[in-house]
Amino acid sequence: MTDQPKRNLVEERWRGLGVSEGYVVGRVLRVDNGNRQVYRAALNEVETERELQRFQNALNGARRQLLDIKLKAEKELGPEHAYLFDAHLLMLEDRNLRERVETYIVAEKANAEWALRVVTDDLLAAYSAVKDEYLRARGSDIEDVAQRILSALTGTIPQYANLTRDAVIVSADLSPSAVAELDLQHARAITTDAGGWTSHTAIIARALGIPAVVGLRDLYRRTRTGDTIIVNSYAGEIVLHPTSATLESYGKEFAPERKPSGVSFTERETGPLRTVEGVAVTLRANVELPAEFASVRQFRASGIGLYRSEFLLSQEGVLLSEDEQYRAYLEVGRVAGADGATIRLFDLGGEQLHGGFGGERNPALGLRAIRFGLRHEDVLRTQVRAILRAAAQGRLDIVLPMVSDLADVRRARVIIEQERERLGAEGKETGVVKVGAMIEVPSAVILARTIAAEVDFFSLGTNDLVQYMLAVDRGNDDVSDWFRSLHPAVLRSVVDVHDAAAAASIRTVVCGEMASTPAYAVVLIGLGATEFSMTPSAIPRVARVVGAVKHSDARKIAELCLACATPDQVEQTVREQFLEHWPQLFSLESLPAAKPR
Amino acid sequence: MIQKRLIVTNRLGLHARAAARLVHLAARFKSNVSLQRVDGGATADAKSILNVLMLAATSGTELSASAEGIDEAEALAALSELFSNGFGETEK
Repeated sequence: MTDQPKRNLVEERWRGLGVSEGYVVGRVLRVDNGNRQVYRAALNEVETERELQRFQNALNGARRQLLDIKLKAEKELGPEHAYLFDAHLLMLEDRNLRERVETYIVAEKANAEWALRVVTDDLLAAYSAVKDEYLRARGSDIEDVAQRILSALTGTIPQYANLTRDAVIVSADLSPSAVAELDLQHARAITTDAGGWTSHTAIIARALGIPAVVGLRDLYRRTRTGDTIIVNSYAGEIVLHPTSATLESYGKEFAPERKPSGVSFTERETGPLRTVEGVAVTLRANVELPAEFASVRQFRASGIGLYRSEFLLSQEGVLLSEDEQYRAYLEVGRVAGADGATIRLFDLGGEQLHGGFGGERNPALGLRAIRFGLRHEDVLRTQVRAILRAAAQGRLDIVLPMVSDLADVRRARVIIEQERERLGAEGKETGVVKVGAMIEVPSAVILARTIAAEVDFFSLGTNDLVQYMLAVDRGNDDVSDWFRSLHPAVLRSVVDVHDAAAAASIRTVVCGEMASTPAYAVVLIGLGATEFSMTPSAIPRVARVVGAVKHSDARKIAELCLACATPDQVEQTVREQFLEHWPQLFSLESLPAAKPR
Repeated sequence: MIQKRLIVTNRLGLHARAAARLVHLAARFKSNVSLQRVDGGATADAKSILNVLMLAATSGTELSASAEGIDEAEALAALSELFSNGFGETEK
């Protein structure tokens, strides 16, 4: 660590939202959205000619860049995320833009940068007058394209194209094209000041299996490229200019986990994972993007426990046709193999499909998920048809998101059966599809026994369950002390849901981030869970712990936790008991920290 | 020159992806193709995405399409089909 003498490097910490798991020590690489200042130059006749050529070369260069980005986006994010760059390419090739810039260069004897700025500003001014809010927002696409041409003109390659091995991307906010352009193979972690759980950054970081923390307010302007930084998404924590003592304590805690866990896991003999006493535990994968498909096999997931189908939608919320969805689900089924995949129906609301249905005051409690599908039946029916058809070729199940009670289940099942019959009448082949309910709304927990009688399985969505059970928005920093996954009310819900499922002889899959933290997974096993679905990259570390604990110990500790009155007491119990029973598996830092409220 | 009335039927209107499809299609023909808002608003060259976006054509907007050139009939027929199938989007 070479200290820069002019700056007083004091260790500073930020709390944000960990949206992709992991822990990294690296060097800051500041990435801005690259807006450049432009100056006017006065040219003579000869220079004007040359300037036209320069502008043409820049357009060609920018076009090549965009084609590369589009290919990369298609491959890593899927075709539905790449279309945006088609629109960018067309803007770049638009003769309207080119001719106006060329005319300005000749008439005003101006440099290309200045001419481009003037013409773009003119276009942007016209856009800002457009009444439709959605179309008005397209102005940012024009600016994105203009910036790309400007960088081609000045010959600046994007500053972040070549990353060093330990680069931690620190940004105020990342535009889709900036993200697509990153040298993703070398980025170690990503942080942004803006953003939430479903921001583009979060999605991509999870797809790549690198840690990401978002919602950091002012980290970007407080850093310089080259600063030492710790990104710990487990705690949602950033440490800038860590002291050597901090580095040492972090290093001790996390070093063994940094990569070797994957190695030891791939060496694990095949066959079901079992606790020391032989209770079988199944670990499945949560996936959203094509870029994650390879990791299902890589981390030896037992199929796909949760496919978040809403990631099929482009950012503009344009729904895919039945055939497009059919092809996507075929691929999901192929990737999942014999263990099968559970497709969660679109967990969408007005905020994703802005323009048409938006404007809810409280979208988390609004018309979303299965409610949205039941209101907009054409959307639901199209998706159901595509899944039923794809299920003829692979093992696919359906899970209904955000079920409140049996009414939602019954209405959805009627639609599924109607579409199955209709497809049959059309002579199209369909497969057997089990229908499960996501249990994440408190009413569904309380009514779990009645729901269990009419579904084929439960998916326990811990993220939303904790949020709804405790009435805490996990994206809101001000209430983060109230977001407690180990809350006694949550633990009792987990037990009740498993009991209800067992009474009806159906299985329960626990999906949600809780399962991907080893200590929490052990608590969940003690509460009765045997099947989990998690981010594929978390599977090795959870498997390592699951294979080493005694089931009866986990049970006993879970009983102690259930007897606690407050989350603090639960966390303290977990800390004490885990250190006592499994000192070799857990250190104090890997267990829930004491949080004074 | 021939003309035809078209209505934007897809929910999000002529946004970036829909406009890109429209421009790709129009560019396949030799004829000049233009779109004008029936309510007396802007006119756009259908081969310019910037122009098309400037129509600010939301769902339900009526447009008058004109084509002039050797393949004008084919151009308008293709355009008409694109509009009537909602730019290939599921949502209408």
